[in-house]
Formats: sequence, structure tokens, C-alpha cells
Amino acid sequence: MSAPSRHLSPVARRVWRLTQLLSWGALTVVGVLVFVMGGGGPWFLIPLVLGVAATIAIPKLRWARWRWDINDEGIDIQHGTLAITRTLVPWVRVQHVDTRRGLFEQAFGLSTVVVHTAAGSHTIPLLPAQEADELRTRIAGLARTEEEEDAALERADADVGA
Amino acid sequence: MSEPTPTSAPEERRLHPSALVIFSADALRNAAFPLIVIVGATLFGGSLDTGALLRAAIYGGVGLAIAVTVGVVRYQSTRYYIGPEAIHYVTGALSKKVTDVRLDRIQAIDVHQGPLQRAFGVFSVDIQTGAGKKGGEISLPALTPAAVEELRAARPQATAPSPVDAPAGPAQRVARRDLLIAAVTAGQLGIILPVLAGAGQIVQQLFEERRGEDAVRALPHSAPAIVLIAGGLVVLAWLLSTVGALVTFGGFTVTRDDGRLKIRRGFVSRVEATVPVSRVRAVRVVEGILRRPFGLASLTIEVTGYADEAAAARTLFPIVRVRDVEGFLSRFLPELADDPRGLTPPPPRAARRYLLLPVVAGAAVTGGAWFVVGAFAPLALVVGVAYGHARWRAAAWRLADGRLAVRSMRLARTTVLAPARFRESHTLVQNVLQRRADLADLEVAFGKQTTARIRHLEAADARAAWSAL
Repeated sequence: MSAPSRHLSPVARRVWRLTQLLSWGALTVVGVLVFVMGGGGPWFLIPLVLGVAATIAIPKLRWARWRWDINDEGIDIQHGTLAITRTLVPWVRVQHVDTRRGLFEQAFGLSTVVVHTAAGSHTIPLLPAQEADELRTRIAGLARTEEEEDAALERADADVGA
Repeated sequence: MSEPTPTSAPEERRLHPSALVIFSADALRNAAFPLIVIVGATLFGGSLDTGALLRAAIYGGVGLAIAVTVGVVRYQSTRYYIGPEAIHYVTGALSKKVTDVRLDRIQAIDVHQGPLQRAFGVFSVDIQTGAGKKGGEISLPALTPAAVEELRAARPQATAPSPVDAPAGPAQRVARRDLLIAAVTAGQLGIILPVLAGAGQIVQQLFEERRGEDAVRALPHSAPAIVLIAGGLVVLAWLLSTVGALVTFGGFTVTRDDGRLKIRRGFVSRVEATVPVSRVRAVRVVEGILRRPFGLASLTIEVTGYADEAAAARTLFPIVRVRDVEGFLSRFLPELADDPRGLTPPPPRAARRYLLLPVVAGAAVTGGAWFVVGAFAPLALVVGVAYGHARWRAAAWRLADGRLAVRSMRLARTTVLAPARFRESHTLVQNVLQRRADLADLEVAFGKQTTARIRHLEAADARAAWSAL
């Protein structure tokens, strides 16, 4: 089982870098404030160093690991940094699909595709907006009911028989 | 789709006249609290004389009159039509609400009988569509048995009613003895949580007392009291769970009828749910902590579109011997029948991974509690080790002939049984540590409530299963 082939938008790395920077930055600012108000040693150096490391390393690794593809069986998604998660959502289980755009995504012209099943939803985030829209249409077209699936299988059997 | 023939204009149907009483009772129940407050304030607000009594009676009478009026109006304004393609439902006097439910979109017709319905010999019916709205898209609170049958027959999926003398498929009613066993062993969290909470409270009080008073005097006073209170709490919680289970599962009957399961249950309010077998995604064999020593379990089912419904539609049978599970399922749900026994555990080197987290948690609690309860603190570590070991022993799985069986444990030991192709999605997870040990987790989602998850499998096995699913 080789990893699925498609990547997210290369811009995703920039978005993740930004979010890492914001969260670690906020922690550092709080640490500096505490230090200036006269509390303890320079503890703020910890989030500063960790933040710099995370901002450099995590987006790269995450982008390299984040893969997806659509094939005959369904939607194949792989992601994760420390734990790698690989999920397959079969076509017959896709209930509906939508795209949504958060603040950062709007700023960078990106979009998230959300695939809903009866058991929950799966997302493919940070795709170029146009690609996301096309993917949404494509998934909606490929999603089929179980009866259709059975009918398709029967047709295939009939073709083989003939 | 063909046009409905104009000659067969759908006939107007009304609810059974007892709906008048049921609607009135509903209105009265909704208004009960303010009414009680008003009447109570009138009675006890001033001096209790004939004038106050009269006023209270008048207010009560007015409330009753309003409730009856509401009942009459709702009964008068509610009607429905069974057309060739849809059920057309009209309700409301001031603001009219019209609902059309296409017959081929009806997922289930749930029938239920409360005390009032039972008094009148009628049924309350909820018509469910895929939208999964709670309580059904159309609610008809009083229908005669004939009207219920008519509704059921109107569905295009409905099969011709079987002749009366033909056996209507297998049926099983919970035996009185089994019901009693089920009720007595029903408690789980319901027993443990109040006891833990109570024990915590007592320990806290004890130490506050000790600090304030003479410790020597506090101890002999409290020790029997602790045992007594804890024992009392256990008995009370256990009694409550027993009575609750008796009321809920009294008269539990499951019937398999072609493509449908009919589940009937309840002593006080009788609930009947019809579940299309095609919507059952998985069976869970739940061995509660009180049932496991006796080899007993309850069976629940995962039904798509029923996530918000009451547990009524989710219990397949309240008590079954684990060794009889496969036999029971092959009678009622052969589509999902499998044996919850004879599963394969993860490789032995996974054992310490199952133990690690509970042991660390136990050690942390021990460390923290050392300064409070002293020599009792290592008990937490023992519990951690025991729990981790129990989880390791419980973890097992099997994927054979397209059937997946996965067993895991939190408090109850639960085995998920389902054909693999019923899954909604499946996932393989491998973290950094597992990559080094060549292990991986497998998660197979069957619905909102059911995800079969097994940790630390041989990575090659997990990958093969992931690809095969």
C-alpha cells in the first residue's frame, strides 16, 4: 500500500507556518509579560525556541505527509506528523460533500473539502480554491447508492457473460 | 414517474377521537407547572378560607378548560391523506403546517403506546424519513390498529401482509427469569460513579473532621459510618438501576418479519420500533462488568439515521448468553451473524503498550494521593495495572469471510460484529513508537456510535486488513 499521490496546495505550508507562529508567539508574549512584571526566570525562552523549531519543521513534515487521492474504491487520505493516519472512505458511503473557507484560506485563495458519511466527516484542507470546487463536484458525481453499486456490478457481470 | 390518477382522490383521514384526550393531557402537562404555582399561591398566599378555595378552583377550572380547548382544536385541525405517492399531513388552526412525506422516502414507522394510548387501545405513530429529525417528521398520537396497518401497507417497500395462519417469522420474548437477571446485572457506571463520588466526599469530610476535632475520636465514629454510607449508596444505586431496567425492558420482544425487525418493550409506556434490516450496520455484544462473570451480554445494534433516537431502537435484546449470540443472530439477523468468541489477540509484544498508559496514570494518582491517604495510595497503581491488563486481555479481532469482529474494553467488554463492507470508512494509524515496533492500529467506523478499534496489531496484518476492507 503505497501512499496516495496528490499533495495539498504548496501554499498550505505558509498557512501552517503562520498558525504555528501565532500560537507559539502568543505563548512567548505571555511569558515575556510575566518576566517583565518580575516573575521568575526567563521561562519565555522555552516557547520561543520551541516555536522557532516548530515553525520550521512541522509545516514541512506535515505537508510532505499530507497526501490524498481518489480511486475506484473511494477517497484515500493520509496525514499526520507523529502518528500517520490513513483513511479510506468508500464511494457508497459518501452522503454529501461541501467546501468551506476559513479566514486564512480566504486570504490565501484556498479551500477545504469536507466529505460526510453517516459515521462522521473527513476533510481535505488547504486545496487551491478552484481545485477544491472541482473536487467537490467530482466526488458528488462519483458518490453512489448501494443499489446503483449493485446494479453496476450486475451490469459488469452481464458484460463478462456476454 | 407517472401522474397520480385523478379518479382516486386521497381520502381524508382523522386521528382516533381519543386524540382529543391525549392532546388535552399534553397541553395540561405543558401548563402544569404554572398552573400549580397559581393554584398554590392562591391557596397558601393568604389565609386559607372558602374565598381562596373558590378562587383556586376557578383558576384550576380555567386551566382545564383551556387545555381541553387546545385538545379539541388540535384534534379538529389535524388530518392526513394517504396519496398514491406521498402522505400529506395538515395540522394547526392558527398557523397551518402542511407536511408531505414521499412514501418511498419513509425509512421507518415507529409505533409507541403510552398509558393513555393503552387505555384507549390506540397507538402513537412517528413516521421517520432519512432526515433523522428526532421524533419523526409526522407524529400521529392516536391511531387505531387498522389505521396503523393501512399506513404500513401504503409504503411501496411494504410486502404483502402475510396470511394470518402463516408464522410471522421468528420471535423471542424475554423470559421473566432472564429479565430479572438482566435487571439485577444492569448497573455499571450507575453503580460505580455515585459510590466513588460518595466515597470521595466521605474521605474529604473525614479529614476535615480530623483536623478540627480529636483524631482519635473521629476514627471509630466514622469507620462504621463510612462502610454503612458506602454500602447504602451501592444498594440504592443498584436498586435504582434494577427498577429502571425492569421498566425499560419489561415485555421485551423482538420479531423478525422479512426485511424488518420489530422491537417492542416497556412496562409503563410500551414502545414499538420497526427497524429495516438494510439499515442495521453493526451488532455490539456488550458484556457489562456485572454480566461478564456469568457469561452474559446484551445485544445492541447500530442503525443509520437513528443516532438521535432513544435507546429503544438500539437494543436488539437485553440479555443473551455469549455462547448463544451466534445462534440468536442467525435467527434474527443472519446478515450480521458471527461468533463473538474465538478471536485472535494482538501480538504478545503489544501487551506492555496496553499496560503503559493505565500504569502511568495509576502511578501519577499514587504519587499525588500519597500525601493525603498515605499507605492506601499504591492501590491506584494496582488498579492501573489491573485495568491495563484487563484491556490487553480483552483486545482481540478477526477478519474472515468478509466478517469483521473486534473486541475491546472500557468498563464493559464490547465486541463489534459486522460484515466489513458495511463500514462507513476505515483507518490505519501508526505513531512513531509503533513504527519502530512494527505495530499499527486499525479503526473501522460503522456509524456515529460504533467504531471498531483495535490497537497495536502486527503492522503487516493491519495493512493487509486495511487493503482488504
